[in-house]
Amino acid sequence: MDYQFPKQLFPSFYNCGPPDLVLKHCAGNWGCYDRVRPQGGSGPLSSWTFTSRHQVGGEAWRHTEPVPVPLLSPKNSFPWLSTPPDPQDFTEHMQNFFMDHCQDAFGSISGILSENLNLKPGRKGKSRSDSVYMTKMENIIKKVKLKRCPFSFDSTVLDRYGTLLSDVLPAVPPELLGSLLYEELEEQRERMLFCEAATGGALAFIPFSQSGSDPQRGCLLYPGNQGLDFLNFHRVELQQHRGTPSCLDASSCELSTFQLQGPVRQISAASLINDCCVAVRSDHLCGVWRFSEGNKPQLMEVVNTKEVGTCISVSPHVLGEVLVASESGAVNLWTVGKRMQKVRKEEEYLYFNAKSSWRWCEFSAHPRVMQYADRTGVELCDIRMSPVSNHTLFRIGNTSECRSGERLILSRYLADVHPFHHLITTQYSAYIMDERFPCMPVLKWDHMMQSPPMFCHTVPGSDPSRTAKVLLGSHSSQEITLLQYSGGRAEACSSRGPPQALLRPRDSLRHLPVQIPHRLELATSRLSIPAAGLTCIHKRGGGGEECICILQLTEAGDIFYQILEPEQPHTPPQAPERNTPSGIKVAERPPHSLNLTSATSSDEDIIGPNQVLSYVPETPERERPELEIYSSSSESESQSKTRYMKRLHMQLQVIDNVNVDHGNESDTAGVSAETVSEEKAEIPEESSRMEEPSSSVQKLSDGVVVTWKQWLQKLMQKSRENKPRPQRRQPYKVPTEDLLHLSGVQARGEDSAEKERMENLRRDLRACMTSRSLLVHSAVSASLGDQEVVAVPNAVDTDTWKDPTSERFTVSWQGEGAWQAWWEENLGLNRGKKVEALRRKRKREKEARRSSSQQSVLSGSFTSSLCYQSDLSDFSNLSGWSSTASQGVWSDSGGALSQAEDSIENGSRRATTPSSVQTDAPVPTLTPTPTPTPQRDKQASQTPSSTRAPPPTPKSLKKSKRQTDYLSALFAPQDEPSQHGGYFLEEDSTVHHKPPPVASSSYQLHSSQSASLRSVRTGFSQSLTPSRSLTPSQSSQGRPGLSQTSQTKKKKPRMGF
Amino acid sequence: MTGGHRTVSIRERDKRQLCLSLTAVLIMDDLERELMSFKDLEDDNDSFDDNSSKASTKSKLPLPNYGMHAEPPRESGFHRSTRVCLEHIRDALLHHRWQEAAEYMACYPQILEDTTNGSAQSYKELTWRISAEILHHHPKSKLEDYNNIYERMKHSGVRHYLMICLEHSFHLLLNGHIEEAKRQLSVSESWRYGKESAAQDQKTKLIQAYRSLLDYIIWVDKKFTNSNTEYPESNENQDIRNYFRTASVNLKEILKNPGVWDPFILSYVEMLEFYEDHEEALKVLNDYAYDNSFPPNPNAHVYLYQYLKRCDTPEKNQMKVLKILHVSVPSHELMLEYSSFLLKSEKSSDIEKALRVVLEMLDFACWRSSLDVWKRLEAIIQKLQQQENWKYVVRTNMAERHGWWPALHFTCFHASKDSEENPELMQVKAPLTKILCPDLTLKYTDWQATNGK
Repeated sequence: MDYQFPKQLFPSFYNCGPPDLVLKHCAGNWGCYDRVRPQGGSGPLSSWTFTSRHQVGGEAWRHTEPVPVPLLSPKNSFPWLSTPPDPQDFTEHMQNFFMDHCQDAFGSISGILSENLNLKPGRKGKSRSDSVYMTKMENIIKKVKLKRCPFSFDSTVLDRYGTLLSDVLPAVPPELLGSLLYEELEEQRERMLFCEAATGGALAFIPFSQSGSDPQRGCLLYPGNQGLDFLNFHRVELQQHRGTPSCLDASSCELSTFQLQGPVRQISAASLINDCCVAVRSDHLCGVWRFSEGNKPQLMEVVNTKEVGTCISVSPHVLGEVLVASESGAVNLWTVGKRMQKVRKEEEYLYFNAKSSWRWCEFSAHPRVMQYADRTGVELCDIRMSPVSNHTLFRIGNTSECRSGERLILSRYLADVHPFHHLITTQYSAYIMDERFPCMPVLKWDHMMQSPPMFCHTVPGSDPSRTAKVLLGSHSSQEITLLQYSGGRAEACSSRGPPQALLRPRDSLRHLPVQIPHRLELATSRLSIPAAGLTCIHKRGGGGEECICILQLTEAGDIFYQILEPEQPHTPPQAPERNTPSGIKVAERPPHSLNLTSATSSDEDIIGPNQVLSYVPETPERERPELEIYSSSSESESQSKTRYMKRLHMQLQVIDNVNVDHGNESDTAGVSAETVSEEKAEIPEESSRMEEPSSSVQKLSDGVVVTWKQWLQKLMQKSRENKPRPQRRQPYKVPTEDLLHLSGVQARGEDSAEKERMENLRRDLRACMTSRSLLVHSAVSASLGDQEVVAVPNAVDTDTWKDPTSERFTVSWQGEGAWQAWWEENLGLNRGKKVEALRRKRKREKEARRSSSQQSVLSGSFTSSLCYQSDLSDFSNLSGWSSTASQGVWSDSGGALSQAEDSIENGSRRATTPSSVQTDAPVPTLTPTPTPTPQRDKQASQTPSSTRAPPPTPKSLKKSKRQTDYLSALFAPQDEPSQHGGYFLEEDSTVHHKPPPVASSSYQLHSSQSASLRSVRTGFSQSLTPSRSLTPSQSSQGRPGLSQTSQTKKKKPRMGF
Repeated sequence: MTGGHRTVSIRERDKRQLCLSLTAVLIMDDLERELMSFKDLEDDNDSFDDNSSKASTKSKLPLPNYGMHAEPPRESGFHRSTRVCLEHIRDALLHHRWQEAAEYMACYPQILEDTTNGSAQSYKELTWRISAEILHHHPKSKLEDYNNIYERMKHSGVRHYLMICLEHSFHLLLNGHIEEAKRQLSVSESWRYGKESAAQDQKTKLIQAYRSLLDYIIWVDKKFTNSNTEYPESNENQDIRNYFRTASVNLKEILKNPGVWDPFILSYVEMLEFYEDHEEALKVLNDYAYDNSFPPNPNAHVYLYQYLKRCDTPEKNQMKVLKILHVSVPSHELMLEYSSFLLKSEKSSDIEKALRVVLEMLDFACWRSSLDVWKRLEAIIQKLQQQENWKYVVRTNMAERHGWWPALHFTCFHASKDSEENPELMQVKAPLTKILCPDLTLKYTDWQATNGK
């Protein structure tokens, strides 16, 4: 009933005019019903039902594996940019060129100039009179210190030219090279972001038989080789296994390969019953092949297009009719073997200037009505009349709810889904157009893909109740999106369910075992190569289960497939038999697998899970060489075999037991377990329709893991074969044998016990690595012998650390706020506040006093003012600050403090500086009011223990001594710090007094470097006592800020010295 | 009774308003912000035009930016975490992992409390869409949940009020709550806010039209119950007529706008026919079919044709409609009726027309194996053969098909297929091949000769 037109369409407005909609969110049309229309019902209210244009539920399809599986082993390896190049980087590229290919860049010019240069010193006679003496030049250049190539140079003549003439005389002028490079990079970037030549896709599958029950057989067409210039015909078979290892080399298969003169851009195929016609487009050539199940592919005809071809399309109506479009804007109907008929030629754009010469063409429901598309819209051209009559099918702007900037990306006649339906994709949306009702899309989706969909494949619903599936594939981001819709015949079209994103190869590494970094890098860049084609094999549910196998081609020539099967709503997902670890032969197999068999191609071309799985138990010998690659070479064959078996065993266990040890895997299986465990963790309690898919996030089956592993192995091999940037020279090597000596080198020869110990240690290490356990002391103690157990130091008692630095450290553990408060306190930043508080207190007291002694007002006020003054001065003493000197000192000490922090971090500096300070500071020259010199700054910093010891009572002295002891314990052999600290303290304190005592006390130190701490202490206490008398409040208050040396110094004038 | 009902509904509304007083505060904030965002919109358009006018041979496509891949230069930790959260939600939704999306979604609505963000509007719509989609796929979602989310989100901003109202009523309709949906629509119908943009205007009209459609449904319902009772009261009739009147105003209104209005026009015409306003019905249908500002909807012609057929208008008029339909949709199933009209006609030129119509139908894939069409072709040829110049007529009509008809219909593949699936078709087709393509030896007949009975 394909000819029916829906009786009632969904209501919608028809808007003309330029599109102005800008979508600001990324939710597309989620959650929307779009429109509803009444259905049925002509009687009472209850008989009316409604249907919506966007229906909530579609068919649920689930992946059999969480990753796409590679179909073929990687055939080649070449460096690939994972991110589009930035044209601004052209200088870097130039630099690389000059570095890596300096002979090409500069060699020719220096060759020409060689006769004018003389490289040998002191032979004037032989050379020409005007030649330049290069030894001199070289000396000059050395003096100038130009940036030179880091590679070594042999002493050949050319190399010297290379050095001398670097970026002086390049073969290509740098300006020209730069601009060309810039252009090239810009083009490359655009091509990576959006490659319109690839539109349509270069992957096709042609089923041989339409019957459902058989395993789906057919021919896969894909481009091969590094430049994608080989066209391969490959027989593939989608097989269904029900628990039996049935198929291995099931059928012989012919593989034909044709070499083309350019990359394969698009493959379009159509088959009529048994005959199949394949049209292939490369940039300037288009060819048509014909083949059938029994016959080998046969090239029918090739045409050359003057302009770059943009589209090729095979007629679904008449075999041997092909439409070819090119950038010239012309579309030709090519009847293979007969003639070329011009359908349409359009110099201009259909509707508005889109600045693109891309053209597209497709057939339509009528064999003589063609679709002609550019970026602005689609027209249907009736070529029976002349001139050709056209009418609009789709137009950006006239179609409702187009978005601003929307452009047509791909248009496709959906012959197999509905004879009148066309799919049109833009960057934002996918439209289904009915050509009987042009201009209004019968359906619209937001496909929500990041990069525009350029590939498309449709799967017709097998019966009217089923949905038709539209698969959209994008180029640069590799996305595949599955859309479902139904209707278009008796009922209006409605989309079913939201778009579903399918798996991408670039996401698969997450699910695979962990790779070591450089492999990961290589694999990541390989897997994120843009897609180049999309096709799909649909196995109808005739005898077995229905499934869809989606194949995706990348520009590197890799093909990945993923299999979808319908989700049974209320049955638990088929879990691989968890409880039978040995069930590798049968149980692990995915229900479907793509068996690729071939007679002419070698076995290693094929990596199907079948093959791997089936020969492991039967002929394990074959597997071994490959396994050896990733197993330790020191083990015997039998070990490796058992290990392999064990590994498989392990993986199965892993599914059961999250905490299981991973066994002997060298670089795999770790992640599978982890992901599994993660996924297991999030199994929700309620099991219902919705939870099913999320709880059954699939586990990787072993077959897939092995396939992937082999694929990655092959990729590494290939990449090892051709290094990306071949370097011409060996880097200059400095012989280092003499520089570094192992400590045990001499002893090695004689001490066999030592050797044995090392052996043991190595063995233990290896054992730890293989068992993936931690290397702990007990594991190696046997080989290392008993080690001295170092006791854990006691916990630090912060109370015993009274010096400002320690206190600051202690405080800083309480957080930044406390630390800051400490500083404020210490620097007197909160002085203003305190003064304020004191004033308030004073005022209160005053008032209290006033109220108490109302009688003597005058005297009271007088005394209070006096008190006020004295209190103020008290306070300034107390905080160690004077109002006059505050600013300057503050900034000084601030600097000192920041320095202090620096130097405190650096213990060694602390240890080394004292001696120099001691000698450099001649004590007699010390002036009573020293200026803030670096030395003095250091004092602040380097007196952590002593500066903060304000009350020189015996008790505190003891304490400080204990501290110094502690310090000396910390900085084990050196007692300089404490000594030094003592010294500085002394020096500080001398500032307050007359020079003589200072000289004497410090002299003590100078006289005997090894003076005991005790003697220092005495000096310290001596020198401090007078200052105590000067500032009595210091000792009584015991505030941390008091002993700030620089402050006390500055305080002096204020104090009347 | 209806009055009482209304007050109840109003009271409920008030209650709802009270409950949502918090969000009402939000609305006030929104007004200014949304006015701002209107301006933003315009600016965006301008900037895009600038981009597109850059001269280049290759097209520079504006690629969709889902606002989450590019990290904004300065963003607070809050924005960062919500952006990452949104990415996760989006990823989960795209992969149909509803449970996971729901878990993330529990945290996402924080973004609505963010006041620093200028594009709060889009976040609201985003929140609404995502939560609705999650509810769609939640096994235990209830109508209350839906009502909750629809009500909350619709009152959180003015720009999407109408859209969410419409979607809300759709949801109610799909779940069979027609009365409730009608109430929703009536509420939103009276909603007005400031300057109306074109999109808003259209939304209002759609809401009115849908409300009228529901009026029509009630009208049908009342009519149905009325016809079952033996003695219809005039009172009831008046009530029914009221429904017709309220419905017809908006339906007539929406039919003036270019668009596809199939359900609306059908209901409108049915009511008009019931009240025997044939003039208006014909006018409406004619406008719908022949107004050039309307998209070329084949159904418009079908409705007109069906109406004419119901009214027993002369065949000439009916044929005229079909003739116009034939130009736009030559593959339409009504073409079978058209060809039978032409076949019945006395004029000799009509036979040729009929031949052309049927041949054109057979061009299309969907009719290729239809026995009816081939039988019709057989009948036409038989009648044509009574004329003297029949060979000439057939030859001229087949001339343009000469190159591809054999490949389309008469290959041995077709022969084997027809003999398997539809032997009767083969019996009809085989003799016709000689008449249609007399100078070709076709594999179809050869195959039949070798394999046939």
